[in-house]
Amino acid sequence: MADPAPLTAADGEAVPAVRRHLPLALIIGGVLVGLVVGVALLSYIWTPHDPARINVRSRLVPPGTPGFPLGADRLGRDMLTQIIVGARTSLYVSIVATLVALVVGTAIGLATAAASGARQSVMSRAVDVGVAIPGILIALVIATALEPGNTASIIAIVIWFIPIAARVTIGPARQILALDYVEAAYAYGRSRTYVLFRHVLPNISPILIVQASIMFASGILAEAALSFLGIGAQPPTASWGRLLKEAQPMIDVAPGLMVFPGAAIMVAVLGFNILGDGLRAWLDPRQLTQAGH
Amino acid sequence: MNSRVLLVFTREAMTLFVSAVIGSLVVFGLLRLLGGDVALMILGQEAAPEAAIALREELGLNRPWHVQYLDWMGGFFTGNLGRSYAGGYDIFEQISDRLGPTTLLAFGSLIVSITIALAIGTYSALNARNARGTAVDVFAQLGIAVPSFWAGLLLVYLFAVYLGWLPAGGYVPMLEDPRASLVSLILPIAALSLGSTAVKTRFVRSAMLDVMNEDYIRTAMAKGRTFNAAVLLHGLRNVAIPVLTVSTLQLGSLMAGAIVIENVFVIPGLGRLLLVAVQGREVLVVQSLAFVILMIVLVMNFFMDLSYGLLDPRIADRKGKPTHG
Repeated sequence: MADPAPLTAADGEAVPAVRRHLPLALIIGGVLVGLVVGVALLSYIWTPHDPARINVRSRLVPPGTPGFPLGADRLGRDMLTQIIVGARTSLYVSIVATLVALVVGTAIGLATAAASGARQSVMSRAVDVGVAIPGILIALVIATALEPGNTASIIAIVIWFIPIAARVTIGPARQILALDYVEAAYAYGRSRTYVLFRHVLPNISPILIVQASIMFASGILAEAALSFLGIGAQPPTASWGRLLKEAQPMIDVAPGLMVFPGAAIMVAVLGFNILGDGLRAWLDPRQLTQAGH
Repeated sequence: MNSRVLLVFTREAMTLFVSAVIGSLVVFGLLRLLGGDVALMILGQEAAPEAAIALREELGLNRPWHVQYLDWMGGFFTGNLGRSYAGGYDIFEQISDRLGPTTLLAFGSLIVSITIALAIGTYSALNARNARGTAVDVFAQLGIAVPSFWAGLLLVYLFAVYLGWLPAGGYVPMLEDPRASLVSLILPIAALSLGSTAVKTRFVRSAMLDVMNEDYIRTAMAKGRTFNAAVLLHGLRNVAIPVLTVSTLQLGSLMAGAIVIENVFVIPGLGRLLLVAVQGREVLVVQSLAFVILMIVLVMNFFMDLSYGLLDPRIADRKGKPTHG
């Protein structure tokens, strides 16, 4: 909290929005994200039980049973173990998908912003259509063509996020391209690619970092939704969405089964969302860009 | 005035047409690029070569791509989209039958979420500095993070399993029994609306906070209105545009949510049909259904943009130019 920020109000003018101490949201978000990442890393070293071990004696034991703090599913697998291992799938799918989509989407956005008149309007129209297409729809179309699994989830989320990343890039990139120093760089003989990467990209990077955080959150939700629908992670891969899918038919026998996976998804999504809010306030207090979804 | 209406209409109609073409090409192309041979996708990769040849012949898959594409598009106008391979049903007929529940679910959720967001967003803005306002903000953050299908499961547990007040799933057609139909829609609509309501609430709240600092609020107060009355009377009207914007941006995720929620509550809509078709690898059913769902989003977008352009002349002008805000 008491972080003495290097940047403080230089003039006597009191501009409250420009104070740069660490926002509370950044800390809360950071702690929640750290928790999820920590749990995912922990799963490689230690889990309470063997995640794949089926145990008839612990079938559907309720939460609070010694050795099974969150209970066990209909095959006797420990819920806590499943959730710890599930964090891996969630983060792996959403982080890989977000990074790929951000790189490709930003490139498309930069190219669109730098394109000339007619070509620019066609390209940004195409991006708009891409944003309007419901992501789950694309994912279902892709699932028809591919075997279900984490790779299918990643490909689906990448295709889903690319237009969003491009959309977020186009506006700010165009603003930067209209500035005087860009003109100067061109006059100096720099190529368009050089200008885009050396001048535009660094200047829009705060927006992209915030967007990345929001996309990690959406990616986690998306992965869970795809696994819940049965077109994402397949057994024996542990996934929070798949745990919920398996809990649904048991809802009247063992309602506890659906509480914890959902709570895990919520914590992870909440963490990345709050982190995004915090980053937005911290990186650029005046920049209140809304994401396109 | 009339020429402006015509201009806005023409421009939006062009956008709709171009979007529909791009969208249909994406659906058509993705399935073939990623899946390869359509006949083998339907029959399974280990299918006998003779069976695949026969199916290709039957479905006209030997024809050039553009002919297949145009034939598929034409099917939407002639009502002939072929038959499901496994289910045997007429695809066009089945899609028309399934439109009702999905539309009801999506529209219901749109209306519910706008109403609630206006109410609690305004409430939160008016109470921005006290605990009640903060409680609404926390609700908004949580609402965004809770997956709709989990909310659905929790609601089913509470209201159907534990309290036994509402059905756990299923759907009663509106024309058959309006009351039972509405009752069967309460939980699905509630689950579907949670996330979008939370997002809209945040927009309403920030728009309302902006409005509260406007001069016309002070003017209204000078004329004898209380602060709350001034904000409610003059503020709500100004909040309408941002709410419309967010609602338009959310149409895609609304339909996406409907697809998932239909599968939680086993509602016989487009989303349920789609998932079953995906699991059965029914390429032809999937491509037609995906296009129909996409068109629902695009057509709703079209109407929203249209009303938008007509409501606010400044927006109509600005959208015509290539520059962005």
